[in-house]
Amino acid sequence: MDALIPLFVAIPLISAFLIMLLGKLVKGFHRYFAPLTLLALLVMAVYEFSGLGTSSIQYTMGGWAYEGGFPVGIFMVLDGFSALMLCIINLIGFIALFYSLSYIRKYTAEGNYYALFCLIIAGMNGVVLSGDLFNLFVFLEVSVISSYALVAFGVGKTELEASFKYQVLGGLASMLILLAIGLIYWKTKTLNIADVRNVLDSGYSKPFYIFIQVLLISGFGLKAAIIPFHAWLPDAHSSAPSPISAMLSGVLIKAVGIYVLIRLFFNMFVFSHEIAVVITVLGTVSMVIGALLALIQWDVKRLLAYSSISQIGLVVMAFGMGMILLAKGDNLPVASLAIAGGLYHLVNHAVFKGLLFLNAGALEHRLDTRDLKKMGGLAPVMPVTSSTSFMASMSISGIPPFNGFFSKLIIIIAAINGKFYLLATLAVVVSIVTLAYFLKFQRFAFFNKSPGKSLEKIKEVPFPMSFSMVFLAILCLALSLLAFPSINDAVLRPAINVLMQSDLYSTTILGL
Amino acid sequence: MTQAINIIVLPVLIGLLLFLIPAGFRFIKGIIAIGVTLITGFLAIRLFGSEDIVFSLGDWVAASGMQTPGLNAYADADKYSSFSLDGLSKLITLFISLLSLLIAVYSIMYKTAGAMRNYHAWFLITLGFSFGAVLSNNLLLFLICWGILGLTLYRLIRGNDETSSAAAKKTLIIIGASDGIMILGIAIIWRITGTLNMDEITLPTSDLVRTVAFLALLAGSFTKAGAFPFHTWVPDYAEKAPATSSAYLPASLDKLLGIYFLARITTGLFAVGEWLRFMMLTIGVITIITAVMMALVQHNYKRLLGFHAVSQVGYMILGFGLGSLIGVAAGLFHMINNAIYKGGLFLTAGAVEQQTGKEELNELGGLSRAMPLTFFAALIFALSISGIPPFNGFASKWMIYQGIIDFGQGIGIANKLWIIWLGLAVLGSALTLASFIKFIGGIFLGRQRKELSAVREASPVMWIPMLILAMGCIGFGVFATNQIIPRLFMPVTGVFEYTGIWDSSTVSLLVLVSIALGILIYLMGNLKNFRTLDSFVGGEKMQEETSFSTLEFYKSFQEFKWLAFMYRKAKDKWFDLYDLTRQFLTWLGRLFSRAHSGILHDYTLWVLAGLVILLLLLIT
Repeated sequence: MDALIPLFVAIPLISAFLIMLLGKLVKGFHRYFAPLTLLALLVMAVYEFSGLGTSSIQYTMGGWAYEGGFPVGIFMVLDGFSALMLCIINLIGFIALFYSLSYIRKYTAEGNYYALFCLIIAGMNGVVLSGDLFNLFVFLEVSVISSYALVAFGVGKTELEASFKYQVLGGLASMLILLAIGLIYWKTKTLNIADVRNVLDSGYSKPFYIFIQVLLISGFGLKAAIIPFHAWLPDAHSSAPSPISAMLSGVLIKAVGIYVLIRLFFNMFVFSHEIAVVITVLGTVSMVIGALLALIQWDVKRLLAYSSISQIGLVVMAFGMGMILLAKGDNLPVASLAIAGGLYHLVNHAVFKGLLFLNAGALEHRLDTRDLKKMGGLAPVMPVTSSTSFMASMSISGIPPFNGFFSKLIIIIAAINGKFYLLATLAVVVSIVTLAYFLKFQRFAFFNKSPGKSLEKIKEVPFPMSFSMVFLAILCLALSLLAFPSINDAVLRPAINVLMQSDLYSTTILGL
Repeated sequence: MTQAINIIVLPVLIGLLLFLIPAGFRFIKGIIAIGVTLITGFLAIRLFGSEDIVFSLGDWVAASGMQTPGLNAYADADKYSSFSLDGLSKLITLFISLLSLLIAVYSIMYKTAGAMRNYHAWFLITLGFSFGAVLSNNLLLFLICWGILGLTLYRLIRGNDETSSAAAKKTLIIIGASDGIMILGIAIIWRITGTLNMDEITLPTSDLVRTVAFLALLAGSFTKAGAFPFHTWVPDYAEKAPATSSAYLPASLDKLLGIYFLARITTGLFAVGEWLRFMMLTIGVITIITAVMMALVQHNYKRLLGFHAVSQVGYMILGFGLGSLIGVAAGLFHMINNAIYKGGLFLTAGAVEQQTGKEELNELGGLSRAMPLTFFAALIFALSISGIPPFNGFASKWMIYQGIIDFGQGIGIANKLWIIWLGLAVLGSALTLASFIKFIGGIFLGRQRKELSAVREASPVMWIPMLILAMGCIGFGVFATNQIIPRLFMPVTGVFEYTGIWDSSTVSLLVLVSIALGILIYLMGNLKNFRTLDSFVGGEKMQEETSFSTLEFYKSFQEFKWLAFMYRKAKDKWFDLYDLTRQFLTWLGRLFSRAHSGILHDYTLWVLAGLVILLLLLIT
């Protein structure tokens, strides 16, 4: 199994290369090769995930010898948390790519699209697998730079503008992150995450590390689109081609934003109460303001983009509550519950937000508009899009029996049990606002008018698109099963363990 | 145990299967739905006779001797899947199944419902989860069933035009909001007691946190039942949804469930304090009066019924607010009665709508000749809801009045104000009568309009359920004190005494005798020799074009000085919690949206400002 780990990065890199090379010679090469690549990655990810359990696997690239017991060079770690992320990335990746098969036909230079898609996947897989800060940064740049290109893929005025903003702000964030990494290297003389933790355990100067942590919160907060670092997201996510929006909102902000934040703050830094409070507050602010902004949008994809800010805020809030409780060191079952809720919602959000962007893409594909005011009465003519988007909307708004209900329920119960009454109330309020704007989406896109003559020409989207949507919609229902304690234990427990016992990561790697 | 599981699972499963049948086989779907409701009716009767029991899914699997090789998923769920069969849940189950059977029969011929995709599927799913909500003993399981009912409510309205889709949206937002608030209450209960099984929880409402938990659950119950201030979805829904959907959910099932949950939280989960009782009584009378005042001025008869569906809830809340045995029994009795006559009223409205195609009162009139059976049923329902003896509405209202008078003997502040509660409740009843004169007069009495001359009676499939419900109204009224109360409600609440003397059967007999005497006098006396003249107004013969308008009379309500002000504000939605919140949130959203200028410099500044603020906050 160890040998598979570098393949998560290598396979998509190679296929991006091959697509560019052979795509020119063999007609339709990329159309078959890219989905196969992603399917292979998905199978590998599920295989690794199912076999892993609570153990973790390390891989040293090039067989570099450990230097005084510490790994140097490119170092990869697969544990419960990263395996879970790998599954999400490659699952949503595969579905979005399959969807693209018919969606992307309206663009020229399909080959570039598939190659960039493989690169973004390679970058994200690299980020979640990487065990050292420098490679984490490199893979981060691989994925975000390809996402800059993909956002601009339509090469229209708005796309280019959005991509430009995204690049400038993304570049700013990367600079902050690089600065933080440099400072860490200066102080600890190592870049390996586990090793940094090890050094920090033997004492550190607090103000200096708070400074680094703030840099990292700002940098990765921007990648995760946490308010006030979110401004690029509504433009970028709404201008990208829809399957890419699904990738960006569904997994990119999680893999390069949330995942890294959580990993570094749980497993690399020692918990501090102030930082935990800051993260919780930022999450809560994003959750509330994002929802309010989404409420007044009339552009479907913009609405979904703001909703991503809000939902990510909820996830960050849940992890933040867990951090506060862990930093205090009491009430650990509640901390575990909060983290479980956060992880569960993270997984759920990838699925339903991915699906919602695919739905928006289907609408755009058939109607050539993203304006809700120009839609209406589509339920009878686009039954698949209508019913799948209904399921996704209900999921994200937290209506039973869909998955979003259960993850929100767990987060709210955790908040009440941890005596965060205000946060629990805000989570409920935001959940209601979420319901309101998703019902607005439902109403104006699919109901509101009876389908007149103008709509009769509109047909349901082709098979690859409808299949992808149906698959994710079924997943929305199926993920509710994670609410069962034993299934939850089997799927989320390894990841929760990694985060709950924050020393575990470094001690297992260093063999202490 | 098996019957309780079956009654939940069977309708849901069949309902899901109905999605697979193409839309063309509407009639077959309808027949299947009737079949399922018949089976659940049978099961409900069997359950009603069975003994009280609390059991979990694991108990059931163990008892049924089922082998589940390799799959122990139920073992996880065991903690959360506790069901309870007691007097209250069995009673509600029985009435849910009876009402759904009648509505299912009616739905076959009701075209508006038939035109909806998957109407019957959602109908059956609603049925299954209603049973689930009533029979579950675990709050979480209850919440899931309860939430799904909000969803089916949303799917049972068509939403193919602007107003109906707006009503659907509003309905689900309000219901979903109440579910969210309930999660808070349930989470608090979990934190305090460590359990979610309703039979294990008794909390005093002594401190703030417990009171908040109580209020959160109360909000859920009030929203479902449609009480002030969470009622605003009911009139909109009633106006725009197919009549069967209105008869099914807001008029009967949601009332049964909402009041069922109210009964659970006020008599089981919480020991309600004095001030909360005071609040409940206040909400009760506000609900009665405001909704009936709104009903008085409606032009759309379905909307009028919708406001009454709200107003009647006030009486039930009064009953539970009293908290005495007679109060609780009266609340439950009124809930059942209301489900019968309000369900019936929506069915008559549906029949009228289908036969005439009109929804406005001033476009109708004089249908009593064309639709005699519908008229008869509607008249019985209208008399019942207005609290005219000997019908069932009177019986339960009478009990509520008695409860209030008993309550006046107490020493608390709420007790001292008993005369206010009583006076407003009676006033509400009188206003109900006034508005139903409008309903009956507007639709069935007066001159028949020319364009309505082709109207025929609805099909028997539609009027038979109505007549059965009308019989129910009479039966429950006539035999209230000697049969219905002791047999159905005393097992639930416990035995109690009435202070007033009222024997419904004797009184009914007296009413019957006096009517018979009247007829006798009419026949004996020489009263037949009267002149027959055409209707006239102010000495002038009525012309064809001067329509006899019931509505004009009610306009005067709107023109009283204070009332006029209130009505104007109500029209501007000043009292609609949903609209107020929406406006506030939209305003907030606009405020934040204005900051998003789209200028890159600003955005870069935000990032830097965020960074600097964080640094200043943390490094000092």
